[in-house]
Amino acid sequence: MISTPDPFREARETSLTLPVDVNGETIPLLLRMQDIRKACKNTGDFSSANPFHITLEPETRVRSYRQFPIESDPPEHTDYRAIVEPLFRRPEQPAYAARIEELVRRAVTAALEAGELEVVRDFALPLQSRALTLLLGLPESEAETWISWGVHVFHDGDGGQKGKVLEAYTAAQFERAAREPGEDFFSVLNQARFQGRPLSFEEKQGFANLAFAGGRDTVIGTVTRIFAEAANDPKLLPGIRATPDLADSAVEEIVRITTPLTAISRTCPHDTAVQKAGGRIGLCWASANREERFFPEPDRFQADRNPNPHVGFGFGPHNCLGAPHARLLLRTLFRILAEQDVTLRIQTQELQFEQLGTVTRPNGFQRLRIKITKQL
Amino acid sequence: MPNITYITPDEETVTIQSDEPNLMKAAKLECVEGIDGNCGGVCSCATCHVHVHPDWMEKVGPPGDIELTLLELEDDFDETSRLCCQIPLTPELDGIVVRVADR
Ligand code: HEM
Ligand code: FES
Repeated sequence: MISTPDPFREARETSLTLPVDVNGETIPLLLRMQDIRKACKNTGDFSSANPFHITLEPETRVRSYRQFPIESDPPEHTDYRAIVEPLFRRPEQPAYAARIEELVRRAVTAALEAGELEVVRDFALPLQSRALTLLLGLPESEAETWISWGVHVFHDGDGGQKGKVLEAYTAAQFERAAREPGEDFFSVLNQARFQGRPLSFEEKQGFANLAFAGGRDTVIGTVTRIFAEAANDPKLLPGIRATPDLADSAVEEIVRITTPLTAISRTCPHDTAVQKAGGRIGLCWASANREERFFPEPDRFQADRNPNPHVGFGFGPHNCLGAPHARLLLRTLFRILAEQDVTLRIQTQELQFEQLGTVTRPNGFQRLRIKITKQL
Repeated sequence: MPNITYITPDEETVTIQSDEPNLMKAAKLECVEGIDGNCGGVCSCATCHVHVHPDWMEKVGPPGDIELTLLELEDDFDETSRLCCQIPLTPELDGIVVRVADR
């Protein structure tokens, strides 16, 4: 069993919030499902419109642009989001699904040929990058550049330099798209109008920044977890082979049990029951996703869990725009691994840990080395 | 196969016959406007909210506790609200009428 225990359990069962210290700032984390959902809907008391502060750890050092649409509130948020919504819904088209399937099939075939691989860097990162080229409507060759950036866009062990590289890259893409406009993400933003005017360069950079940051560690973490769970339970892939619909619920459960985005923050413009005016709170998705009332045996991965009312993709107006793409990619991966009848064996694994104040949470794998073979 | 009628937010009436496992999957297969079913039917996304015609409420039954915690936060929530991925399609539901919630 892959043990990723819930570090919030005790706090959640005894109190409404857990205060964590982030660089000297005390941020109460909301821990319970219904409190979190209500806060998501109450954007007047819990605002997202605080530039560089949507994450618990402020991102002033790693990026120079306010992210859109995430760092805004309705009604502006509704208009910002509408600009990119059609693009983020392309994964619903059958032609898009066919291209994702082709990508995943190629990746799985290559893995089978290798026989043994480190999933995070040799499988999840390249697959995530190549899949993102489809979402953004760019040539697949662009992925090679993104792969070279490593697992985290902002920090892969360097002091914020990565952020500059990403910003220079997206700025160049906007110029390229201005010279040769097409259907791609950068062209869409160049041509977009917000409340009757074009987007500023800063706003466009903010959209682009989030598109790269939001879908990277999250997709890598969940792709990797699929291999870990499939290796752990030899009945999982045969189950999906017999009932392909099981892939859908298995993906929701992967997102719940992994919850790669642990928490996100909101700022209180005025006093609330949990924070004073000007202060921030955290919405702890990872805690809500282990609440026993909603998820019996919360620490156990159950591929057919239903109901599975997780908030791994967030909730309310800011719910994840990348979710249709992520769901499609993860469901396709489950189906192809099942269809190919592969056997997975974990060679070595190294969990990754995240620090929130005094709380240490296991979040994904640093490394997961596996053997992959086809059953004869 | 049971017949199901969906009334969309634009007042379009769509009647289909289906042997899908639940009312969300049946609607998705026919691309009924307003039923997105993003989470695949596990009561997580609330993009399958319908109002069950009052005549059918008794046969369908009320939402479960977990489903209710999602429904009660929806703008268009009332006592006929259900997430239709949580309504199994059984022969007793032949002829059912539901109105797709406005989002
Ligand atoms: C398994 C993968 C993913 C997970 C678990 C995840 C999680 C989340 C969560 C929890 C939020 C809500 C943030 C908030 O309430 O402030 C969110 C928002 C967002 N995500 Fe994802 N995400 C994933 C994949 C992606 C991908 C692939 C992309 C795009 C390439 C993406 C782009 C976004 C964007 C643009 C938003 C902001 C939406 C808005 O403000 O309206 N995500 N995501
Ligand atoms: S399909 Fe997601 S809640 Fe019904």
